[in-house]
Amino acid sequence: MVSPMPTLIAQTSRWRRRRRAGLWVLSLLLAVGSAAPAADLTPHPAALFIDRPEGAEQIVILDAIDGHRVDRTREVSFEVADVHVARVSATGLVEPLADGATEVSARLGDRHVTIPLSVSGVANPAPVSFEQEVQAILTKHACNAGGCHGKAEGQNGFKLSLLGFDHAADHAAIVSQSRGRRINPSAPEASLLLLKATAAVPHGGGRKIDEGSPAHRRLLRWIAEGARADGPDDRPLVALLVEPAEVRLRPGESHQLRVSALDAAGGRHGVTRETDFISNAPGIVGASAAGVLQAGVIPGDAAILVRHLGHVATVRVVVPREGIAFVRPPEISAIDRLVHDRLAALGIPVAERCDDATFLRRSSLDTIGTLPTAAEAREFLADPSPDKREKLVERLLERPEYADFWTMKWADILRADKSKIGPQGAVALTRWLHRQFALNRPYDEFVRAILTADGPVGHESPAAVFKALDGAEVAARSLSQLFFGVRIECAQCHHHPSERWSQDDYAALAGFFTGVKLKVLPGGGEGVVSRGGVDLPHPRTGAVVPTAALGAVPASFDGPSADRRRLLADWATAPDNPFLARAIANRLWAHFFGRGLVEPIDDLRATNPATNEPLLDHLEARLKALRFDLRAFTRELLASRTYQLAATPAPGAEEDRRHYSHALPKALPAEVLLDAICQATGVRESFNGWPEGTRAVEVWDNRLPSYFLKVFGRPVRATVCECERGTEPSIAQALHLINSPEIEAKLGARHGTARRLAESALAPEAIVEELCLATLSRPPTAGELTALLPLFVAGGESITGGGDGDEVLVRRAAVEDVLWTFLNRTEFLGNH
Amino acid sequence: METFAIGGPARRRCDGVSRRHLLRLGSAGLWGGLSGLALPGLLRAQEARGPGSPQPRAKNVIFIFLEGGPPQQDMWDPKPGAPAEIRGPFKPIQTSVPGTIFTEHCARSARIAHKFTVVRSHTHADNGHATGYHYVMTGRRAPFADGEYPVPTNEHFPSLGSIVARECGSAGTVPPYINLPHPMSAGGPGFYGPEHAPFVIEADPSQPDFEVKDLGRLAGLSEARLTRRRDLLERLEADRGALPLSGRSAAMATYYRKANDLITSPQARAAFRIQDEPEKLREEYGLTQIGQGALLGRRLVEAGCRFVGIDAPGWDVHFNCFPSLSTDLIPPADRAFAALIDDLDARGLLDETLVVMMGEMGRTPKVNAQAGRDHWSMAQCILFAGAGIRAGQVIGATDAQAAAPTRDPVSIADFRHTLLWLLGIDSRTEVNDPLGRPVSLSDGGVLIPGLIA
Repeated sequence: MVSPMPTLIAQTSRWRRRRRAGLWVLSLLLAVGSAAPAADLTPHPAALFIDRPEGAEQIVILDAIDGHRVDRTREVSFEVADVHVARVSATGLVEPLADGATEVSARLGDRHVTIPLSVSGVANPAPVSFEQEVQAILTKHACNAGGCHGKAEGQNGFKLSLLGFDHAADHAAIVSQSRGRRINPSAPEASLLLLKATAAVPHGGGRKIDEGSPAHRRLLRWIAEGARADGPDDRPLVALLVEPAEVRLRPGESHQLRVSALDAAGGRHGVTRETDFISNAPGIVGASAAGVLQAGVIPGDAAILVRHLGHVATVRVVVPREGIAFVRPPEISAIDRLVHDRLAALGIPVAERCDDATFLRRSSLDTIGTLPTAAEAREFLADPSPDKREKLVERLLERPEYADFWTMKWADILRADKSKIGPQGAVALTRWLHRQFALNRPYDEFVRAILTADGPVGHESPAAVFKALDGAEVAARSLSQLFFGVRIECAQCHHHPSERWSQDDYAALAGFFTGVKLKVLPGGGEGVVSRGGVDLPHPRTGAVVPTAALGAVPASFDGPSADRRRLLADWATAPDNPFLARAIANRLWAHFFGRGLVEPIDDLRATNPATNEPLLDHLEARLKALRFDLRAFTRELLASRTYQLAATPAPGAEEDRRHYSHALPKALPAEVLLDAICQATGVRESFNGWPEGTRAVEVWDNRLPSYFLKVFGRPVRATVCECERGTEPSIAQALHLINSPEIEAKLGARHGTARRLAESALAPEAIVEELCLATLSRPPTAGELTALLPLFVAGGESITGGGDGDEVLVRRAAVEDVLWTFLNRTEFLGNH
Repeated sequence: METFAIGGPARRRCDGVSRRHLLRLGSAGLWGGLSGLALPGLLRAQEARGPGSPQPRAKNVIFIFLEGGPPQQDMWDPKPGAPAEIRGPFKPIQTSVPGTIFTEHCARSARIAHKFTVVRSHTHADNGHATGYHYVMTGRRAPFADGEYPVPTNEHFPSLGSIVARECGSAGTVPPYINLPHPMSAGGPGFYGPEHAPFVIEADPSQPDFEVKDLGRLAGLSEARLTRRRDLLERLEADRGALPLSGRSAAMATYYRKANDLITSPQARAAFRIQDEPEKLREEYGLTQIGQGALLGRRLVEAGCRFVGIDAPGWDVHFNCFPSLSTDLIPPADRAFAALIDDLDARGLLDETLVVMMGEMGRTPKVNAQAGRDHWSMAQCILFAGAGIRAGQVIGATDAQAAAPTRDPVSIADFRHTLLWLLGIDSRTEVNDPLGRPVSLSDGGVLIPGLIA
């Protein structure tokens, strides 16, 4: 049973607590009680009030079946008692016709409920509010969307602010610009605004609004009333009420959302029709323009972004898999408990623990970007000690390749692009990164050093970062995305359409970097200097915006020549900073688990929630408790049972990609794959101008010509986004692996692994085992032996091309082909 | 030979086919075992469907995409009577079809205007590049904001090229769907999966050293040895043990099969050797990226490719557009298009090849303050040639400003329905999306009036 009066509960997610006053969002939660045998239909709302001619209220009729709340809105028959007062659509949308009181009834079989309805303001309506009512229409009909008049340059001379964040400018654009031709006060219905919207005259966007529709009538009335801007009597919207805030749906089930706007005076009216609904997982749960959630056939979860004017809320929807009795596997750490909590709620079973060989290969590739050698694999597999996985992780964290690998990862996103920062800059930045990872410098100190970097670009330091990020705004938005997971770049041109960030925040953050200069040094080279700086003007209004960190009070600097960035670094690394630890925790989680709790990994915001918020909370807290020790944090991740799951899903978990019920296969970075091939074949890649034996991971020169690295997706380091690294397979990759002279040369090299084994005294079984361990880190299966051993006896001219079936050539060809086969297994080409 | 029910009525989803099955097919024949079949499963099935079904007129498509938005009024829909700020500086010229005029920079196509048809009334409401491109190629509005070129995912609808490739299969030795000289950003396979992704030739065929890498025979390896390796790999991959074949590794396995098919065929490798063409013919197409791309396109359809997508970027001319249009953009496109039509015609291939040239949008009627033209999707031109269409026509018309169609507006759905129809594919055919919901290949649409004889 549902309580007749819904309970108003403020959502208090961590993000919302941080929101500024006036932007906070309330959601209506429906309290659901226990099932009753003959449940009544429950209407929402319990009573309807409409106070304007174009108003509309959405009715939702709930029912309860076996304790499960079911939306019956689209099944019941609606009827208005007094058809002169209002009408109701088959989907439960009530529209007023005249002032008065009546009731709406909803009937389902022999059950029915009535809802009192009171209509006012039709005969003598309050004037239309531009900010609340006109803007809502322009937004819902996408007039001010990014593809139309909302884009930076507008569309065909008519420019609106994106999604209507700038009321004054939009009002001027409609009423005054173009010599006022968009509004015709003497003949409102002939206003160009309406003629274009209804496509009565040619309109690039086609017909957006039907003549006579509520939106049309409201615009018409607004023009007839003088097309006024809002005055003191207009009550700004302060909160959005969405009900329900959480929904549990069965596969195929649908549910109507209801959205109300709450104004400053406590007034409330339905805006469901003027709200946008966007699902982050439309394949799981779709959201129609009318606010109907539709669960698909696949179990899972989704977050629905609900947006009306500048206000946003999210509705979380779960579609649990039915008929699964969740069995909780052993839990090594809180990570496992939190993952299992989520899986239990969704009804997704957990995979088995992976075997030792898989763990060895996975943890080595993930942690040090290096394939285990055959000897390492043999030793690890033979080790009987129960804690050998923990000991392995300890060894990996101490390996020199650890710093090589993480240096490469960070050089990518810190934009160590040779053509941008010069070879000296790229070398200096790479060397500095390497030292930080070799010394395991705490991440907060690492970030502080980068944020405040100065000195010669060519000296070992992160100074070159400010050569790559040239300009205060580029630095602000890049470092914000990289370190704080906040993509404030949207706010350069407009209010972030689904976030709290405004152009004020953008200018305020960029103010920290306005004192950064690149100076030519005596004796050549360049140096980064940061002295003083200025507060930047608002990009639109030109008003000076005091420099401030994200969501923080304006900074007060120590004098006009201080390095402003120090205060930003202080803020970023303060224990209560809400961004830094969370962003890096998500980034590292994505690295080791194949998918970020938040995706994209550097776009953390309330409207893009984590698939498991409690887990991300936990990881953030752990990283802080570990004082940003990344190796210690890595150790905790790898110790979890969740990291050690097999890639094979448990029956019923095949579709899961978001909740870590099994290990997700990962692409190998181009450099790692090339190094793995070199290691397995025993033939180093020779990079032009680099010392013999250099591994691809170590090459700081991101522009070094290499067909292999190009087709396997080496990034050009043009952005701070990890997404720049290509992970998609292609025919070109396959062709290169199976049919390129380059790989063939490694297989047949005189000093390579294949030749060494062919010329050894080892028996064929031992050779196959050695090559299998060297590539897949496991011994060969019986099937592999059966398939591969005959190579050593068959042969002859057709295979070797060597005359009379020379035994040496047969053996050589056999070893090469065994190695070729292992190198081309899909098992080799990824990390599972 | 096994027939992989690639487009049969009892359509099987790609992931419903076992790995073992795919491998057997891979070894049994090229490209899903369909080589030599002119019209595989789906088309045969459609012939049985009765009246109202398309009859295949074309076997393949060469699709030249002028990315960025070609200006309709500066090319095939001139408005000599309009004020200067609308008609622009280019002069109208007569074409081989009395009464039809183009602008002076379309001189070569004007000479053969009787061999193709211009649709002047193409119109849609997506004014973005990435989103408009997506709309043309997939027939669905983009699920992302303009300006983003998202990694194509399996949530997207398959592109035209992938649909044609999947429904028709390859007629020869090269992949059925090829992009050149780089990927078409909206040309991905969407939920059809990587099986139907384009083979991308990432090289410029106008360069003297043009070659498709890793297609050559490896020195020192006998045919028997190559076969042995392939067989071994197939055998081991078929028995994967506990490792599930999903996501990336499944995609990689698909690409392996395709790569193997490609390198085992001398004809396939020969098809890419544009250097074998006579110098005179190469010059006729123009020694430009688009010119040599069109010529390579002809070689590829001769080798059995079903859909060659040639991406010709650079048309987003917001600023000072007329110098670049009159030198770098229109003449090379005009030359390439005209040479391709003539060449196909001379070889007797025009009737079985559909040539289409278009962009994702047109451009604003009025020249802007920077002497450029901005985005304008409401009025665009599409050129159709070959496939037995009624050539020498102008279909549809625009108003005095080339701003909006005045008759026979052609939507993206109409365009796609017509293109597929010419290949014998009924766009009302339903396929299952990733959720198993049946969706039709085109979101509605009717045949472009008068195009098909």
